[in-house]
Amino acid sequence: MSIVKKLFLFFVMLLPASKLFASDLKDSASVGMSTYSGTGDVQVYSPAFAIFKTLTSQFMLGVKMRLDAISAASIRNGGNPVTTDAVTGASSKEGFDDKRIAATIMGVYSDNINNLSAGVYTSDEVDYKGKSVFASYSRAFNEENTMAGIGFSQSDDEWKPTFSRELAEDKRKEQKVDLSFAQMISPKWNVQFVYSYLYSDGFLSSPYHFVAQDDFSKFESYPDERTGKAVAIKTVNLLSEQNSMNFSYRYYDDDWDIASHTYAVEFLRDFSDELLLGARVRYYTQSKANFIKPIGEYSVDDEYFASDYRMSAFDSYMIGIPLIYKFALAGFDDIKLTASADYYWTSNNDYVKNWYNEDNIKAVSTTFMFDYQF
Amino acid sequence: MKEIVLLALAFVFFSGCSEHLVRVMPYEKEYFAQDKMKFDPLESRAEQDGHFLLIREASAGGESAFQGGCGCR
Repeated sequence: MSIVKKLFLFFVMLLPASKLFASDLKDSASVGMSTYSGTGDVQVYSPAFAIFKTLTSQFMLGVKMRLDAISAASIRNGGNPVTTDAVTGASSKEGFDDKRIAATIMGVYSDNINNLSAGVYTSDEVDYKGKSVFASYSRAFNEENTMAGIGFSQSDDEWKPTFSRELAEDKRKEQKVDLSFAQMISPKWNVQFVYSYLYSDGFLSSPYHFVAQDDFSKFESYPDERTGKAVAIKTVNLLSEQNSMNFSYRYYDDDWDIASHTYAVEFLRDFSDELLLGARVRYYTQSKANFIKPIGEYSVDDEYFASDYRMSAFDSYMIGIPLIYKFALAGFDDIKLTASADYYWTSNNDYVKNWYNEDNIKAVSTTFMFDYQF
Repeated sequence: MKEIVLLALAFVFFSGCSEHLVRVMPYEKEYFAQDKMKFDPLESRAEQDGHFLLIREASAGGESAFQGGCGCR
């Protein structure tokens, strides 16, 4: 029996143990937009909306939709923004090069002690189809001071390269299991631990990236299985009535020998009952995969080929500003606007230089979302 | 399979010992209702982070949120 089936049965077995308590579920709607603009002439505009409707006091159905309108030289040029017209012959800068439509339908059960959610996800791009199922269960203990949760997701995705490349394997499957534990330490301090187990198999590289040397060129080829684990700790502290600070650390490693450390710190301040502003800093560092070689050092008989900087060692940095503003408009009370702007950049990297003809990756990410609870 | 068994055991362990942990009384929890005291104070930003950092970096996990498949990875 697959892990997914076992976990599904586990969640079903938990349901009879759920007692009937009051619930805080509310109807809600949200609409907004996120954007990404970065190296490689990549621009993504992503309008999104979500609606959650309570069917009973403890059960809610939700729908989320997101459209990614993508403009990218890498798509126009068959994967390589430097090597002009490598595959597709396209070079136009007019309009968008790809669209990704993602839909999530989910059900939520909550009695304030037990919280169970499950759903399905599907996405469609010109060269990729995504299908996933996910579920999570959490339970409060110790007069709601302690929260323990478990979640899983299983995806079954499919590549459809935009040119006539035949993939020996066009599937990519991923499984993820999360175990979380949160504990209130004091009225001003909360801590959460998360452990994740990740397994992928199938075609795990990009069908477009390739290694080009003087005497040969080869499409990227990675191992067809990958197992990773991550542990993370998050903590949020109230510094004063108006100020809080949250900190997170994550350690990740996998059987491709990629290991990483991620640190993030955020400061938040209530400037009034309506306005919250803050600032955050994030630092990330990873080691290289065990099969990537320095540029120009592959031989035609190698089993694996990689030219993607994400398989190399690099550091990245992010700084950003979050904002939350609550207001009333046209008879609707308690509208919440959340917005953020972040600047992201990596350390200088030979693989980035080789592929994008730039020293490093740079990007700006923004989000802008209105939330309303009925 | 070994990981699943360990996860289930950890779940049971944490559930069982929770009564011995710190207890903040209900009337002391007012701060945790505020946005600035949430682990992810901006849900839309957390979703965007989860998506684009998963594309830009080789690591994943460590957050109990779901991220769907995408060809940009």
